[in-house]
Amino acid sequence: MSVIPFGTRYVLPPEWEWREQLKNKLQSTLSSWGYAALQTPALELHDPEHPQSDKAFRLIDRDGSVLSLRSEYTAAISRLLKTDLLAHDYPIRLQSAGQVWLRGLFSELGRLREFTQVDAELIGISSPAADAELLELARDALEAVGVRFRLEVADRSFVQAILQPTGLEDAALEELSEIIERKAQPELASKLGGYGVSGTLKAEILQLTDLYGGPWVLDIAQKMAHSSAAQDALERLRQTVALTGRTDFLFDLGMARRLAYYTGMTFRAYTPDFGQPLLGGGRYDTGLPGAGFAIGLERVMSALGAPPKLPTASVLAMGFAAAKHARGLGHRVVVAHSQNPLEMLEYAHKNALEWVAVGEQLLSLEHFAEHITKTGKKL
Amino acid sequence: MNLTIALPKGRVFEEALELLAKAGLPLMLPEKSRALMHTFRDETGEITVYELRNSDVPIYVDLGVADIGIVGKDVLMEAGRQVYEPLDLNFSHCRISLIRERGATSTIQRIASKFPRITQRYIAEKGITAEVIKLSGNIELAAMTGLAEAVIDIVQTGSTLKANNLEEIEVLGHSSARLIVNRASLKLKAERIRPLISSLQELVKAS
Repeated sequence: MSVIPFGTRYVLPPEWEWREQLKNKLQSTLSSWGYAALQTPALELHDPEHPQSDKAFRLIDRDGSVLSLRSEYTAAISRLLKTDLLAHDYPIRLQSAGQVWLRGLFSELGRLREFTQVDAELIGISSPAADAELLELARDALEAVGVRFRLEVADRSFVQAILQPTGLEDAALEELSEIIERKAQPELASKLGGYGVSGTLKAEILQLTDLYGGPWVLDIAQKMAHSSAAQDALERLRQTVALTGRTDFLFDLGMARRLAYYTGMTFRAYTPDFGQPLLGGGRYDTGLPGAGFAIGLERVMSALGAPPKLPTASVLAMGFAAAKHARGLGHRVVVAHSQNPLEMLEYAHKNALEWVAVGEQLLSLEHFAEHITKTGKKL
Repeated sequence: MNLTIALPKGRVFEEALELLAKAGLPLMLPEKSRALMHTFRDETGEITVYELRNSDVPIYVDLGVADIGIVGKDVLMEAGRQVYEPLDLNFSHCRISLIRERGATSTIQRIASKFPRITQRYIAEKGITAEVIKLSGNIELAAMTGLAEAVIDIVQTGSTLKANNLEEIEVLGHSSARLIVNRASLKLKAERIRPLISSLQELVKAS
């Protein structure tokens, strides 16, 4: 019998502490940009309209109503903003960090069913400056934890705009988007043929699968942007990127699906050390405009590698007064659990403790051994 | 820039390796050995080839353990993994078909297959109520022994069917070898992978 459900795991020492440090670094970066931290309940009322509704864990409440476990923060924060609990002077900058749960996931490398997200949301404003702020914030946060990454920006409305002149029905457009999302060019060509799409339009749609890479992608996309919707999407991306003052973005204008609620720019961070994005986010301007991103803490940890060796404590104190003094100096201190100094010396060796606090003195283990000999084992 | 490639063992392995070599990768058919991975080197970096069971290729690529892979569309449809599939390599052709004993007319209550997802989808599309029996090899035997009234399996030449008094009732789809690429690798290793895709595309066009 398994001890815990698959897709969950124990976080043990020293990993727990490392993970909290990383989480704190991410959160204090967000705080330093004026993003106020809050927590939403892990138990939510089940809502069939929730973007992750099919994938969330569900529970039955006492009265028979259905609850779900928090599956992402964006929707949870949007729901919070529908109440009058927060002052609504927009724009508002919020952050949250904690566990989220997805029932539907395979449990495998980098994909747990219980995982941790650090989330930032900039709500109540829609502008290139707001988009640029999130890109810069994402960059700053990932730099704070020292992980290698590249940011990629996309806008699924570009694909929609290019497909629009086909005049096809929604179901067909959805089918084509799904194929474009997989960059499955041969399949796309035969599907377009089947729908009677030909000529320049077909060629341009086929080109969507190859519209990824450096800033030059925008120039090629410009040549295909005949409609004002396509031109607007590109212009907004250009403005956003220009506002960041950075030139190292990747672009993918063939990004077609992503989470259905994104309406404008989306972005991701890829790392060379790990095959899945560390961060993902985007703009959702249905109703109250907003944009945000979530960082996958476990993925950041995978990309960084094994936790550094953090000792639980470095000082063994012979008595509470000695311990208090040593803690005052900033050490992590364990108090001797025995009066027998030889036994405690052995304990200190075994647990890689470096110092022994005797009174107000900090002795190395060698000095402590000498001290024992000199004082005839008495302290 | 290093590159890792997931390939299915067997006949496709050799064909895939040959094609990738023609496209300019410094690969050679490794000597027969028990090695599970093969490493090659050139001035651009190291190339590692994993030899896998075909249904495992999409998993390695989806999870980013391999940057690219070559695998049949049938396996890809079954795997339901989120990978890029930019190229049809136009070899290893086969059909995915519903197969029954010649002349069988009974109601289909069970369909045996090594493709349970494809089978489930077929059942849903047809609006029939059959159950799926997941098997791992010699699927046709299920239809011959009465384990199932029909099987869904790949058909290459149809000679196995003929020899066993089976017939292809319906073709569900056509499969051939596809190039698949991890979503992060395509972006981060674009300068390596994009030219590879174009040279493979040229080779496929020319063949």
